[in-house]
Amino acid sequence: MRLATHLTCALAACAVIAGACAIPAAAAETAPPAAYTESIPGSVVTFDMVPVPAGEITMPDPAKKGATKKIKVGPFWMSKTEIPWDAYDIFVFRLDEPQGAPGKDATTRPSKPYGEADRGYGRKGYPVINESYLGAQAFCKWLSAKTGHTYRLPTEAEWQYACEAGQPAPTGDKLKECAVTFADKTSPCASKSPNAWGLYDMLGNVAEWCTDLKGKPVACGGSWEDKPEKVKPTARKYQTEDWQANDPQDPKSKWWLSDGQFVGFRVIRVK
Amino acid sequence: MDKQNGISRRDFLKTSAAAAVLVGAGPMLIGQGAHAAGSDVIRVGVIGCGGRGTGAANDCLAAGGDGIKIVALGDLFQDRLDGCLNNLTGKEELKGKVDIPKDRCFVGFDAYRKVINCGVDLVILASPPGFRPSHFKAAIEAGKHVFMEKPVAVDAPGVRTVMAAGELATQKGLGVVAGTQRRHQKSYIETINRIHDGAIGDITGGQCYWNQGGLWNHGRKPEWTDMEWQVRNWLYFTWLSGDHICEQHVHNIDVINWAIGKHPEKAVGMGGRQVRTDPAYGHIFDHFAIDFTYPGDVHVMSMCRQIDGCANNVSEHVVGSKGSSNCSNSITCDTPWKFDGDNPGAYQQEHKDLIDSIRAGSPLNEAQRIAESCLTAIMGRMSAYTGQEITWEQALNSKEDLMPTKLELGPLPVPPVAIPGRTPFV
Repeated sequence: MRLATHLTCALAACAVIAGACAIPAAAAETAPPAAYTESIPGSVVTFDMVPVPAGEITMPDPAKKGATKKIKVGPFWMSKTEIPWDAYDIFVFRLDEPQGAPGKDATTRPSKPYGEADRGYGRKGYPVINESYLGAQAFCKWLSAKTGHTYRLPTEAEWQYACEAGQPAPTGDKLKECAVTFADKTSPCASKSPNAWGLYDMLGNVAEWCTDLKGKPVACGGSWEDKPEKVKPTARKYQTEDWQANDPQDPKSKWWLSDGQFVGFRVIRVK
Repeated sequence: MDKQNGISRRDFLKTSAAAAVLVGAGPMLIGQGAHAAGSDVIRVGVIGCGGRGTGAANDCLAAGGDGIKIVALGDLFQDRLDGCLNNLTGKEELKGKVDIPKDRCFVGFDAYRKVINCGVDLVILASPPGFRPSHFKAAIEAGKHVFMEKPVAVDAPGVRTVMAAGELATQKGLGVVAGTQRRHQKSYIETINRIHDGAIGDITGGQCYWNQGGLWNHGRKPEWTDMEWQVRNWLYFTWLSGDHICEQHVHNIDVINWAIGKHPEKAVGMGGRQVRTDPAYGHIFDHFAIDFTYPGDVHVMSMCRQIDGCANNVSEHVVGSKGSSNCSNSITCDTPWKFDGDNPGAYQQEHKDLIDSIRAGSPLNEAQRIAESCLTAIMGRMSAYTGQEITWEQALNSKEDLMPTKLELGPLPVPPVAIPGRTPFV
């Protein structure tokens, strides 16, 4: 909870000068972000956010084939692990609300899945799978409303920058140490070693929903299903109709991917 | 996605010709629907135009190749019908496979009869399950092939209707496939074949589960009558869904009946409505646990739950004298086995199997086995609702008819929640 302490100090200083006031944006930008633990009100679930320093990444330029462009990113906080079911279930099943009638609230929530969205791979401590980009986005909106902090999905530039953490892409034994690849199913979050910035499972386990440079949904980093050579910071998957091949309904679910057992997400917060 | 189409038009004509010879030669093996009229196109009507009916229509078209067309729709509600119509007519890839003029769109409680009688060869039955027995009976009597969603009945009179109509389908040479798609999933088929071949020895017991969170609910609108509210929220009313043990868990119960090769002799069960107690959820239970006894004193534990935030499990498991299996893709024994290979999507495969069988002149008929699996689930529910041990004969001969006496959009009181020890067996 170092962030909380830091903010309390800032607030105290502020109060002395101008009475009650909001935190000035400048203070948040200049202060080095510190790791903190976020709690979801109305539940006992918490998750850790780690700081990612500001920097620059070179990416293929979507406007010009073959060209690259430099993109400034950060600083931001990123969730230390992929978002686990523990948090997503509160959102989907309204476990943050009193028990009773079907709930209504300001933020849209996914439909309840028919069947076992975790595929029996594991729930508590395991990364969310089979959720749509829309579902991951809606989670961010809900989480923001619940916590008062603005969360969103990373852009692919932010994600890749955080994934690389200033290091060359790991391969061979180094990859094995930090990534779940070519396995029978997902592993619990943070089963392997973190990267240089303390982020777990950026590579492998589940591919992670991001927004690409054109604003389209893309899943980054490869997953437990992929062979090691396909698990790397530049790995990208775009949704195809195969991701819902076994959804028996038509129109198919907006919220659930019947065959998206390899895709999850993590969140970032800029201020 | 597996995009393999069915038999080509040329193959179809070939089998049609062969079938014609068979029909001329002996007992009638081909239903009067599919191609007796000389057309090479199977004309399909959809009865029940919700998400699943529309999904099944799409699966049927994807599985059936060129020689299949959706030509009629029926639903109780205009908005559901319109949704399905727009879905099917709005897809570029379905151009030429959908021909649904306004005069073949029918709305109301009798829409099913109008679909059946408007010149179709095959009907997809996807209304809420309580309606299935009467729809199925009418379709078979009219000589139509049927794809019907599970469950196919919610009470014993309905099960008996389906069994009788299933026999009639055999006599008439009609194809009947039920939406228990595991029966058409390659990984399941290969696993169960091994179990039947003795890979785990004699089955001595088993377990099956469908434990998950709650499902959708359409909040009541002021303009809805009781009937409209209930039909639109059919999951939560036993006369429509059979309760979730029947509506959902029947999949796993069906796999156990398949693996053992028999239906159980009796059931002792318990259940209740612990968490999902709001009137918006009708009067069904939110959890069941049933001990089914199969011939030879083989016990199978069945468990199903729809409560948010609990441990999930959707699976089956059988234990034998030489090993065990998850029924779906692996066998644990002295020589363990795991399914490996192409595993086509079963939601299309079930339609392909039906259509292929019709075209080949030896139509599948799954009516009896799906009726038995539904009765297994209903027997479990009866035991949990009443608190009594219920035998197969008792369940099969039960006089409890859950269908409301009047089918009209008007008042319809919600039955009380069953109380074990007090709710009588009827």
